[in-house]
Amino acid sequence: MCDQTFVAITFGPCDCCGKASPLMNIYIKSEATNYCSFCVEVMATQGLQAGESAASLKKESDSLKKKLEEERAKLSDIELSQVAEKIEVLAPLSIKTRRVLKGHGNKVLCMDWCKDKRRLVSSSQDGKVIVWDAFTLNKEHGVTLPCTWVLACAYAPSGCAVACGGLDNKCSVFPLSLDKNENLNTKKKSVAMHTNYVSGCTFTSSDMQILTSSGDGTCALWDVESGQLLQSFHGHTADVLSLDLAPSETGNTFVSGGCDRKANVWDMRSGQNIQSFECHESDINCVKYYPSGDAFASASDDATCRFYDLRADREVAVYQKDSIIFGASTVDFSLSGRLLFAGYNDYTINAWDVLKGTRVSALFGHENRVSRVRVSPDGTALCSASWDNTLRYLGFGWATYSTVSKGFR
Amino acid sequence: MSGKTCSSNSVIQAQKLVDQLRVEADMERMKISLTAADLVRYCQEQRRHDPLLAGIAASSNPFKDKKSCVLL
Repeated sequence: MCDQTFVAITFGPCDCCGKASPLMNIYIKSEATNYCSFCVEVMATQGLQAGESAASLKKESDSLKKKLEEERAKLSDIELSQVAEKIEVLAPLSIKTRRVLKGHGNKVLCMDWCKDKRRLVSSSQDGKVIVWDAFTLNKEHGVTLPCTWVLACAYAPSGCAVACGGLDNKCSVFPLSLDKNENLNTKKKSVAMHTNYVSGCTFTSSDMQILTSSGDGTCALWDVESGQLLQSFHGHTADVLSLDLAPSETGNTFVSGGCDRKANVWDMRSGQNIQSFECHESDINCVKYYPSGDAFASASDDATCRFYDLRADREVAVYQKDSIIFGASTVDFSLSGRLLFAGYNDYTINAWDVLKGTRVSALFGHENRVSRVRVSPDGTALCSASWDNTLRYLGFGWATYSTVSKGFR
Repeated sequence: MSGKTCSSNSVIQAQKLVDQLRVEADMERMKISLTAADLVRYCQEQRRHDPLLAGIAASSNPFKDKKSCVLL
């Protein structure tokens, strides 16, 4: 079980002094205990070094924050858009909706591509998870979960299983069988257990582990076979809404974003929060790594998307326009990282030039909020999921060659 | 999202915050002029492999618009 405790009050005998009083549920070295507030205070002061107090800690944290700001400011000797001035301007994209995937009975909340570049899994508010073949529009598998609002779904790297979770506070893995008549529910494996909704899930480099983010403020790494919690990640002070794993070449880190407006980068082995960015003015709905792993982007309810450089440890670009006033719910990069696709609550998808900071194209078509946008693994197409109960597959219309401006029908 | 924090909690939280900030302050950072140049270089190198920028050949495009054929 993975959870993070905010102030929770129960009544009973204290584990430390034995007196019956209002208790606080706390964790000491991962063990749950109940102490009365006096014993918590005593324990907390024992942890302090000589001369420390709550006030001195606050002063130290303020001065450290200022020092961090100064260090980061010292290194911003140039803007990303200035470095990008020399490269060519991108022509508007020539992609259009090529397929509309209909079949969900309610809002489509999440989708993920299979590595075979044509299958995808999607999950919906009505509790259904469907595996589609995007070219033929064939629904290959379907499973109904006992809960509504399946907020997260992911395809396993092998293509042989899918994971999904949501308001049931769990993340379950379903092995996909070749037998179409088999009820997938019989093979369901409950892996993750949180104390609040599961907002995001992803397999790591193999089918054996999944990483989840939850409304309980934590992220967690689980072993699929045993359901065991391998590592938990504490640090967010509100619901975590999204996570993304670093591209495999760059090591064992992942980034998470949440309602506390922070995007945190974590070391998967130690559980340590190694970097933190607080630049958005509202909830961060989605985070995604840049293909090289040296940067990541975030989408937020403040109607902006931002780009952060991990080695310089700061935000280096903001993608915004006065005409865009609705929150952005999802982002994804194209294969080279030059384009950033962002889905918004005003039903549109905007394609941004990551380096220059300008908008390249606006894509229309959905009739309600865009909840998820994902570029296919071979980079040739984009799939978007929406609250209008459909998914759209956006691909090329006509042949274009190396100079994008020349196209022919 | 959390409820009211009482004084004993704030000491633990402050200690955690200070420890976290100490870890972050120790990080090695690079200048943006260097990292931005790397990002631009990565984009330019990968450009050829990005179908959304470079386009895809008509023969491999499953959604190619059908042209009408002319009978001679």
